[in-house]
Amino acid sequence: MAAKRNDMFNFFDPSKAKGPRSGPDIGKESAPQPMSVSLLVARVKQALADAMPASVTVVGELSNVKCHDSGHVYFRLKDAKCAIDAVMFRGPAGKLKFTPADGLEVVVEGRVDVYDARGQLQLYVERMTPVGAGSLELAFRQLKEKLQAEGLFDAAAKKPIPRFPRAVGVITSQTGAAVRDISRTLRRRWPAAEVYLLPTLVQGEGAASQIAECIRLMDASAAALGIDTIIVGRGGGSLEDLWAFNEEAVARAVFAAGTPIISGVGHEVDFTICDLVADVRAATPTAAAELAVPDASAVGGWLSEAAARATRRMRQRLDEARLSLESICRSAVFRDPMGRVRAHMQRMDEFAHRLRGGIRHRVAQARRSAEMPAAGLAALHPARLCERGAAKVDGLLSRLRWALGGRSKRAGEALGGAAGRLAAASPVNRVRLARQQVDGAARQLDAMSHRGVLRRGFSVTRSQAGRILRSASQALAGEMIETELADGKLRSRVESDGEDAARSANECPNAPPGAAPARPGVAKRRSESGPTLF
Amino acid sequence: MNIDAKDKEKLTFEQALAKLEEIVSAIEEGAVPLEQSIDKYAEGVDLVKQCRQILDRAEKKIQLLGKGEGGQLEVTGELEEPADDAARA
Repeated sequence: MAAKRNDMFNFFDPSKAKGPRSGPDIGKESAPQPMSVSLLVARVKQALADAMPASVTVVGELSNVKCHDSGHVYFRLKDAKCAIDAVMFRGPAGKLKFTPADGLEVVVEGRVDVYDARGQLQLYVERMTPVGAGSLELAFRQLKEKLQAEGLFDAAAKKPIPRFPRAVGVITSQTGAAVRDISRTLRRRWPAAEVYLLPTLVQGEGAASQIAECIRLMDASAAALGIDTIIVGRGGGSLEDLWAFNEEAVARAVFAAGTPIISGVGHEVDFTICDLVADVRAATPTAAAELAVPDASAVGGWLSEAAARATRRMRQRLDEARLSLESICRSAVFRDPMGRVRAHMQRMDEFAHRLRGGIRHRVAQARRSAEMPAAGLAALHPARLCERGAAKVDGLLSRLRWALGGRSKRAGEALGGAAGRLAAASPVNRVRLARQQVDGAARQLDAMSHRGVLRRGFSVTRSQAGRILRSASQALAGEMIETELADGKLRSRVESDGEDAARSANECPNAPPGAAPARPGVAKRRSESGPTLF
Repeated sequence: MNIDAKDKEKLTFEQALAKLEEIVSAIEEGAVPLEQSIDKYAEGVDLVKQCRQILDRAEKKIQLLGKGEGGQLEVTGELEEPADDAARA
């Protein structure tokens, strides 16, 4: 007990801490009255308070950090050898921007005291700052990491901003420069949109929670007011001024909102957590307004251009249509509408003509075929037969004449040609050939002479003057005539002339009527020499 | 026709613009018959007019919002035009 008491004195009373040597003196003085634990702790506290400055600044590493629900933060501050328990009560802890975490090297400021309930030495921390980085920087980094891990910055969660907002809700300070910049920009670019302002604190105590609350309120009333885009922001300032926009409450409210939010905080260099969570980040409040609405003059320009394009194309199409209409009007059909009709009429006439001709032809054909039997009978009439026989004779005679005339002439020419060729060609075989040709021609000549016909039973009768008698009327009664037959000539006298012959033929019951008058010469010859010819 | 007219009135600027874009490209492509493209052209002219009306609408005032009794936001007033805007005008 005495040793323990000495230890305590050694520890708590530096003025008497000369070592155990003074111990026996105390022991000799008087027997110590036992004191209560409370008194002991109270005296220790007092001694500590007397010995230590009111505030100490200690650097160390945080460990065993426990953030209690009450808001107090308990931890242990340590270095390589020693450690001391510490507490940061709700008040100062609430002002902490960053979250104390194990392993974090910090500088703490506070007083050292004994925790009565346990008699433990404890640091009561009023302020804590991280070593190396600023506490705001650290806080920013910590919250960013946390929210990022939760997916609050995910691109997939970003909502698109309407192209042509009907109403824009603005959440900022009513008195700052930002509201002026935003409203001016919105009005200039897109006067068609309604603009609503919901004023809020943007810095200082309670700013973050107010901003968060404004976001929630505006989002809840967005449908009723027709707000389809929200701008949250403020003008430039220090990191501390902008800090509200780095608070978790704001970030959560932005993320939870159903209405697309554009964040425009501070200047270009400032980047806040609110910017990261927002659907669109703008560098400044003005930029936020520019991103929120299109430029009416550009849209108007597009409208004019589109209208001009459509008009130009329509004119072109109408011109084309007009041109083709005109060219159709100029075509023959419209210039001379009756032309085609006339052409058709002409064709119709042609058809009519052909039709008539065709019908006439068919009728004639039909008539002919109807007459055929009668014609056949008539043709078989003896008189017709005679007639035909006579006609045949006539034909033969004419052919004979032709043969005697034309052919003999041609034969003569051939002969002459052959002779000419013979004279031109000296070889003997040519002579023989020519002779053969001559013989052939002579045979031909002979075959074609009337003698051939005479051999077939015909005769030629000549008058006294030597003219061939073609008609009975050519012979006179009592005239001597000469009939040439194949093998010789007969001389005879005409007993009656052609007229008598016709008369006598009519009287003759055997002769067919009309036969003798038609061929008087023949009839006469027949009457003379009878069957010699038939 | 009545329903069409009603629908047209309800068109937002975006819808009107999209429709206009569609009409202009249809006319430009020339794939529609002439009569139909004349109708479309008339419709397009109408849409341009509507869009212009929206564009020319000048809302100068900014509505101030405040929390109403039911917790919903309501318009509590109008914000004065910024001073230099007024000077410019």
